[in-house]
This record gives sequence, C-alpha cells and structure tokens, in this order.
Amino acid sequence: DSSVSKSSAPSGPVCILADSRCISSGVELMTTLRQRHAATVHVCSLDGSYFIVSNRMAVERHSQSDLAAMQNRKRLAERVNSLQGLFERVCLIVEKDRTKPGEVSRPFQRTRYYDSTVTALVRTGVRLLWSDGAEESAGLLADLARLEQRKGQGIAVPLEVKGQHSQQALQLFLSLPSVNYIHALSMSHNFRSIAQLINSSIEAIQKAGCMSQPRAEEIYRFLRYSCDSFLMNTSKNS
Amino acid sequence: METKAAAVLNAVPPYGHLIASEKWRNSSLIQSLKGGGVKILFEKELGVADFHLPNKSCILYVSECDIIAGNSYKRKLVRYRNSSSSFQELVLVENTRLSEQYFSAVQKFVVFDLGLTLLPVSGQTEASQLITQIVHGGGGRENPFRRRTSSQLLDPLILALVQQVPGVGRVKALALLQHFSSIQKLCNAAPAQLEPIVGHAAAQQIHNFFHKATAAGT
Repeated sequence: DSSVSKSSAPSGPVCILADSRCISSGVELMTTLRQRHAATVHVCSLDGSYFIVSNRMAVERHSQSDLAAMQNRKRLAERVNSLQGLFERVCLIVEKDRTKPGEVSRPFQRTRYYDSTVTALVRTGVRLLWSDGAEESAGLLADLARLEQRKGQGIAVPLEVKGQHSQQALQLFLSLPSVNYIHALSMSHNFRSIAQLINSSIEAIQKAGCMSQPRAEEIYRFLRYSCDSFLMNTSKNS
Repeated sequence: METKAAAVLNAVPPYGHLIASEKWRNSSLIQSLKGGGVKILFEKELGVADFHLPNKSCILYVSECDIIAGNSYKRKLVRYRNSSSSFQELVLVENTRLSEQYFSAVQKFVVFDLGLTLLPVSGQTEASQLITQIVHGGGGRENPFRRRTSSQLLDPLILALVQQVPGVGRVKALALLQHFSSIQKLCNAAPAQLEPIVGHAAAQQIHNFFHKATAAGT
C-alpha cells in the first residue's frame, strides 16, 4: 500500500470522536480507551451513536443479537446507508452479547437470517470486526485509529471549536450535503471565514476539509447550485 | 499448462454452484453443503483458495488445527492475499473453545495486516450454513444494505442551510433565495443589495456572518 508512508507522524496518541449516545452504552469502553490505550476521546453530538476514528472511517458497535433480530434490519440498513454516504470506510464491531451476573450464558444460536445479514454487509463493503466484549472493542477501536493514522488519515485538527461564531460556522458546515463531523471540524479550523469556503476551488475544499475529491466537488457544486423558487415554494415546511 | 491453471484460478462457478478444492471431497462440510442444495464442482488446481463462489468471491478456510499448529497458516494467508485479484477474498476462521485464545491475534493478522474479510464459524456445520447463504443469497432479493444513490433535491437543503444564518428564518430565507438563487451569490452580495429584502440590520448581520473570521488559524 503506497499510502502507508504518508505525512502525519505515526507516534503520538490517537484521537477518536464519540457520539454522546455512546457514553451510556459504553462507560467501560470509554474508560479502557482512555486509560489502557491512551486515546484522546472527544464526545460530541453526531447523527447516530457511532465513533469516528479517522478522516474517512466511522465505526459502529452492534451486539450479535442485534444483527440476528429481524425487526432491526431496516434500521440497520438505514444506519449503514447513511454512514456510507458520509464516510469512505464503514466498520461494524460485532460484539458477543453480555450475560448479566448470575445468568447462565447461552451460546449464540446462529440463524439463516443472521448469516444473510452478515453476508449482505460484507458484500456492501462494510468491514466487520468481531469482539468478545467492551474491553476488546476498545482495543479494536484504538487499533483502527492507529492504522488510519499510519496511513496518513488520522484526525489531526483540534477537536474543539471556540467561540460562538465558530460554533455557528461548524453547524453551517454540518448542514452541507455529505459532510460529516470531522470534515466540518476540519473546515472550521482551516478556513478563515465561511465566505472563504464558499469561494474556494474544489482543490482547496478537498484540502481544508480533509476529504475525497468527489465529496469536495459535490460541495463546490452545491454552493453554486441555483435554486428553483417554484420548487422552494411548494416544498413543505422543513 | 500455465494458461489452464490461470483459467482455473479465475473460474467463477455458475449460480447455485461452488467450486471446491479436491482435498475437501470427503469432508462433512461438503456433505452438508450438498444437503443445503449447493451443487459442487471439484477442482485439483484451485491454488490457495478452498472454495470459489458465484458473485466472484472465494474462501480460505482456517481450521482450529491450523491455528493451534502455528504459523504455516499465516504463510498461506499471505499467498491467498497475493494470489487472486478480482475476487472478494473471505477468510473463514474456526473459533472454538480450543482456538478462541488465539482468535484476536488471528483477526489482527487477517483484517489489520492483510486487509481481508474475516468471518468466524464454530466449525464445519456453521461454515456450510454460511457458505450456502452466500451461494444462494446473491440472486433473488436485493441486498438491503446496497447503497441507494438518492437523487436528493438540493433546494430544501439550501433553504435549510440559509436558515443556519442567525436571525434568518424560513420567510427571510425564501425571500433571499428568490433574489440570490445560490448560496455563493447570497454570500457575495453587498449589504446594500440585501437591505431592500430584509432591512438594514439583518442585511449587516447576514453579511457579517459570512465574512467574519472564524477561529481558524488556532
């Protein structure tokens, strides 16, 4: 892989962004990430409960029974679809179900339905990782972040924006199509003003947003797209 | 001879079929695959892979024995990764009570070092169920996870973005977009051009919002 030997230093702690909803379900995981793997974990508000481990990769945790439950598939498909729109790489950590203390651990019954879900995910290009529990998942997240950092894709911008105007700019960047939190954060730090983004070339957007060229092209076109006021008037209250 | 080998290495079985390496002929895995309605073609020169499936994927099977016996399976995995080009390369790994202590190391090697897809199974029975699913699952119903390229209407997104400007609600946003049809035109409008539409104070505020320095350079 030629992209392995790229700029950003391979050493140093890795940065991981976590949605605030990840806290309630993952206190143990967060603690392990911070203490054992010395990762910088920044909690923010994402559009789903997932982690961002690099400029291009999102990671979601699911329990094995989550994947096996038929009623979950539609929601899972929506989540995966939306993540694939926002990130070049999407990874699912499939975790063994936790047994409560005192409960007899039952071996997971693999069904045809489960197999078909797994197969469909693999075929869509979703990366799957298998974990025994929260501790192992923390290790996998840290490993993924480290690997991405080695490939020059690590999160390198400051994880916070200070001041009301910058916060508002971040929110505006987030409302651009196909822009995820780390793109918006990068643009907030790399553009001097919102106007500078709006008048930038595709190359400049790509560089400042740490994003792929097709994504930068999409933003560039969006900013210049001419609204049809007829459509606007008929569109229902949004 | 070499061309023949190459042809076999890239052979894709017809739908409902699977090409298995000769060494699997008498295995329980093959028996249960047949039970599941998969038609098997055997082949002596399949290379490193154990199975070729329709939909251009192939499988290397790493057994409990392989894992416990040590490192030779790693060499096989590397050869597997380097060999087939146009196939989606899957690795089935037996994760049993005996091999589970090595599983995380195997996973690291397969996924992180080689970039292959790993699917754990408890043994040949589970493997045959999974493989049957891959063989039969390709046709028929559509993959629910296939990304739909939604041709989203941009106008509502633009309207929503303009409403991110402080002091601009739906009414002002619509009025502004009727005069300045794109975000770029709106951003580059002088306060004097905005004033007839939204009034003096809002015109200043909108212009400032776009042009005021963010915390960049920090």
